[in-house]
Amino acid sequence: MERRQFLSMTLGAVALAAVPASVRAEDFRKSKPTVWTAKTVDDAIKAMFGSNALTMEGVKLKAPDVASNGGAIPVDFSTDKDVKTIAVFQDANPEAAVMAVDVTKYSVNKYSIKIKMAKSGSITVVAQGNDGKLYAAKKTLDVALGGCEG
Amino acid sequence: MAGIKAKAKLKNGAVSVKVMIKHPMMTYNMAEKKTGSRDNANFITHLIATLNGETVADFSTSQFLSKNPIFKFQFKGIGAKGDKVELVAVDRKGKTYKGKAKIK
Repeated sequence: MERRQFLSMTLGAVALAAVPASVRAEDFRKSKPTVWTAKTVDDAIKAMFGSNALTMEGVKLKAPDVASNGGAIPVDFSTDKDVKTIAVFQDANPEAAVMAVDVTKYSVNKYSIKIKMAKSGSITVVAQGNDGKLYAAKKTLDVALGGCEG
Repeated sequence: MAGIKAKAKLKNGAVSVKVMIKHPMMTYNMAEKKTGSRDNANFITHLIATLNGETVADFSTSQFLSKNPIFKFQFKGIGAKGDKVELVAVDRKGKTYKGKAKIK
């Protein structure tokens, strides 16, 4: 029995070590819990990237000027820069972070999501480049009907 | 009823994937209003897409995605017609949702 356990443990360890970096994706909710509780966009960006010196270029962000339904606002974002992480924030809800993308080597950095906003506010998308710079784009929009129920 | 619906399409060398997760995405505030406890909040916290064992997309998410959230993303350099993109999402209560999309 002991030998069996030892064997299976060794096998497990080998299997873990053999997993290539590309499948070891990062769960930012576990690695950076403070991002998700930050109340302001500035704090959340700092918690996520360690800095909030944004370069307002390199990221394309598309969202409607007026959202009739705050419960499902389409947000499209993309970047051509060489980036490792992209995160989406907004300032209309109690907490700022919406989501974070751990970019893989296969990613074409073009995404569409739908988000909730309780009231009018702005959306900020920040992409951390492999050069260390924080590329960002910001869009302010009106929300006619809040989607978060407070 | 919960689960993941997904579609994947290969075009010009890149695969675009559209994912819809059936989930109420209850925020902390909604949970407090409806059930009296913030702890009943439940939303998708993580979505991962893999193809042949390789991760192609990885999202950590919060309660501010819409109800039945939709994700669209693309990847290239991997995947052929007929391959299956596998999707796994986890919510705050630890429940796992799975889905597959065959690349067309």
